[in-house]
Amino acid sequence: MNSMHTFARRAGFAGVVLLLLVIGAFPALAQKDTLILAVGGENTEGYDPLLGWGNYGNPLFHSTLFKRDATLNIVPDLATKRQLSADKKVWTITIRDDVQFSDGTPLTAEDVAFTYNKGLEAGGKIDLSPLVKAEATDSRTVKLHLSQPDITFVQHLVTLGIVPRTQYGPAYGRNPVGSGPYKLVRWDEGQQLVVEANERYYGHKPQIKKLVFLFADEDAALAAARAGQVDVLGVPSNLAAQDIGGMRLHVVKSVDNRGLMFPVVPDEGRTTPSGAPIGNDVTADIAIRKAVNYALDRQALVAGVLDGFGRPAYGVVDDLPWDNPAVRFADNDPEKARAILEAAGWKDTDGDGIREKNGRKAEFTIIYNAKDSLRQGLALAASDMLRPVGIHAVPKGENWDRIKTRLTHSQVVVYGFGDHSPLEMYKLYHTPGPDPMYWNAGFYSNPVVDSHLENARSAESFEASIPHWQKAQWDSTTGFTVPGDAAWAWMVNLDHTYFVNKCLDVGTSQMEPHGHGWPITANIVEWTWTCD
Amino acid sequence: MDVRLSADNRPAEEPAPLRRSVLSSAAGRLARFAAAKAVRLALLLVSVATLSFVLVSFSPVDPIDAYLGPSILKVSPEQREVIAQRWGLDQPPVERFTRWAANLLQGDFGTSTIFNEPVLTVIVKRFTTSFWLMFAAWTVSGVLGFTLGLLAGAYPASPLDKTISFYAYLMASTPTFWVGMVLLTFFSVHLGWTPVHGAWPAGMAAHDVSLMQRIHHLILPAVTLSLIGVAQIALHTREKTIDVMRSEHALFAMAQGERPLAIVFCRTLRNVALPAVTLQFASLGELFGGAVLAEQVFAYPGLGKATVEAGFRGDVPLLLGLVIFSTVFVFTGNTVADLLYMIVDPRMRRNARKGDR
Repeated sequence: MNSMHTFARRAGFAGVVLLLLVIGAFPALAQKDTLILAVGGENTEGYDPLLGWGNYGNPLFHSTLFKRDATLNIVPDLATKRQLSADKKVWTITIRDDVQFSDGTPLTAEDVAFTYNKGLEAGGKIDLSPLVKAEATDSRTVKLHLSQPDITFVQHLVTLGIVPRTQYGPAYGRNPVGSGPYKLVRWDEGQQLVVEANERYYGHKPQIKKLVFLFADEDAALAAARAGQVDVLGVPSNLAAQDIGGMRLHVVKSVDNRGLMFPVVPDEGRTTPSGAPIGNDVTADIAIRKAVNYALDRQALVAGVLDGFGRPAYGVVDDLPWDNPAVRFADNDPEKARAILEAAGWKDTDGDGIREKNGRKAEFTIIYNAKDSLRQGLALAASDMLRPVGIHAVPKGENWDRIKTRLTHSQVVVYGFGDHSPLEMYKLYHTPGPDPMYWNAGFYSNPVVDSHLENARSAESFEASIPHWQKAQWDSTTGFTVPGDAAWAWMVNLDHTYFVNKCLDVGTSQMEPHGHGWPITANIVEWTWTCD
Repeated sequence: MDVRLSADNRPAEEPAPLRRSVLSSAAGRLARFAAAKAVRLALLLVSVATLSFVLVSFSPVDPIDAYLGPSILKVSPEQREVIAQRWGLDQPPVERFTRWAANLLQGDFGTSTIFNEPVLTVIVKRFTTSFWLMFAAWTVSGVLGFTLGLLAGAYPASPLDKTISFYAYLMASTPTFWVGMVLLTFFSVHLGWTPVHGAWPAGMAAHDVSLMQRIHHLILPAVTLSLIGVAQIALHTREKTIDVMRSEHALFAMAQGERPLAIVFCRTLRNVALPAVTLQFASLGELFGGAVLAEQVFAYPGLGKATVEAGFRGDVPLLLGLVIFSTVFVFTGNTVADLLYMIVDPRMRRNARKGDR
């Protein structure tokens, strides 16, 4: 009797175990209102805007004062209007009065002021240093005092998420409370982030109620997508030419560019404070830099290295509102490149196919990050394209840290840039300060370009700054682009490629900046599920 | 079968019976053993901590650059100084080390720069996830490896032995991550039996996850780790079994008509278990390393993944914390191995006693 009982209990237990095993074996089914996204980029230090969460835009859980629409125009979000004082140093911003944080507390100008003041000292990935202080003059008005006129500060108004002053503390990043379209439900570190629509959101209510962001390596994410467990998958373009069942390819244009950075000063034995050599005698010659620019066949680079997922790059800000279309030129013109070199005195006198001038060979090394196969491809292809015009460019893979600290001021390097703020252009081409950073690594300096860049920065409005940004590129006499000083040879702008569930309409994506993944969520409130 | 009498068969191979007198002084010996080990651990920790700190400070990875990543362009030199201050990087290395060591003595491991959380919190959080993976793999590879080794050693040169040895040699020379990827491709992507990613199904909260779901997600990474872990134990056990099977008492039993398997299981288990036990506990270090790779492949959010991130992103406090943690972990494994050795093999006790005097 007793043993019968035990047997029955054991059998029952085994049955339950079996049942659980069967249930557990089925993958979570993606429902209509839940999306699973694998777009990489876990913010391991937490979702705290003051430490840098969302500094490329759209901090999902937070709202920003302004935002950029699909065509990158600045449109109001929390703010209803902004005004710049006559000395261009004080921004007065009026905010909506109907906004609540997801926990129900109202969002006031005090919170905005707190966010900016705290962000100034937080020591994160945002740099508010032009700001002196922020003050709330009443519950709807906040004044931002800058140390000097700086229109590029508008980028912070577009990207910095507003945090509640009463709830902000050291643990905030793990439990963020904001006023954005979604709120964080759970974050299983190293694994996933679960977010739900914020029912208190004042803007357009998203149709997709729940999002799960998976944090996985490329291989694991791709495997998950193949197993049908992912709705949105970000992939590098070399993995885009494949079929994944139930998904379609979504290609987003970007200003994520790659180009050759030239040291533009000759090697005079100077070094940086840390001892890195400065200057390159070959690329200091503008004829070499122009010849490289004309000799490159950018269309072929796009087709061959990017598998067609991209477009030629002629400048650093192609197709952004502050791009100057006058800098476009006809490339793939080896004849023109040869003519430029001949005219500058670069001639092949010893018949080895490489030109010389004053006993110096037209020769340089193209350094690329050895871990990045795309940059390697570009360096190799560029080298092949330069050989016929008599320039010997030797591609060489190096460790990224060595590139940044030792090689960058004396060698040609394949870099990638591209941002939604023209401040990047300023940093790349403005005369570098005493402390060289690797953005103007080539020590490019042109006083006219400097004054255009400074005028742009101190313009009275963002719209008014645009002509100055364009003149810095080319003002019909000088500029940093190819018609002018040809400080860089930009090669390609990448396309960012995603696999998206066939039943998901992701609307019109913004042109994306450098870095791949999260930016696709910029218009997430517009996403709709189109199947039943 | 090789039946030559080995010249060096030792009478000491005979298992000695446990004696009362041995047990009576056990407590005192254990205390002395513990004290000696503690001193050794302290010395080890000091040298490991110092060495790691020196190595890390010579690392070419700039922690601020690594932290900033693509945001590097948005940040001015002034802001870098603010970050350096937040992390204490504005101090000279020696000062940083002494401050770090002083805090350490009070149990404060510092704050992880990439997780913005106390190092101990990160380690505890991640280790709880890793623990089950390591434990499952460790148990399976121990039991399976020992059994396979016994079987192979009982019938040397038989097809069974050849199969087991081939498998063991193959696995001993195969990288963990590769095995992981093959299993992932076949079972998760091709057959769809096992999950691809994470420690539980996407979108679920940790407290809603059933034990079975956790096990379901654990299977593949654990199998990957054990497939490889089996090899070492199996090979060593096989060697030892063959050795013991050539001993006099085994041969004697065989002469009386006992089957090899019976001899292995009934008469030689204790002798054969020695290398297996040592290896099993000494392999905690390898287990740790293997888990790093397996977790990376299966996106299993344990300590391994955290270690990789800490390395890539120059998180010095976390790296140092992990080094200390893994030192203690591996040291504990070895100490347990020593202890078990004394229990399993009475000769060790006798030697230990002689050594004491």
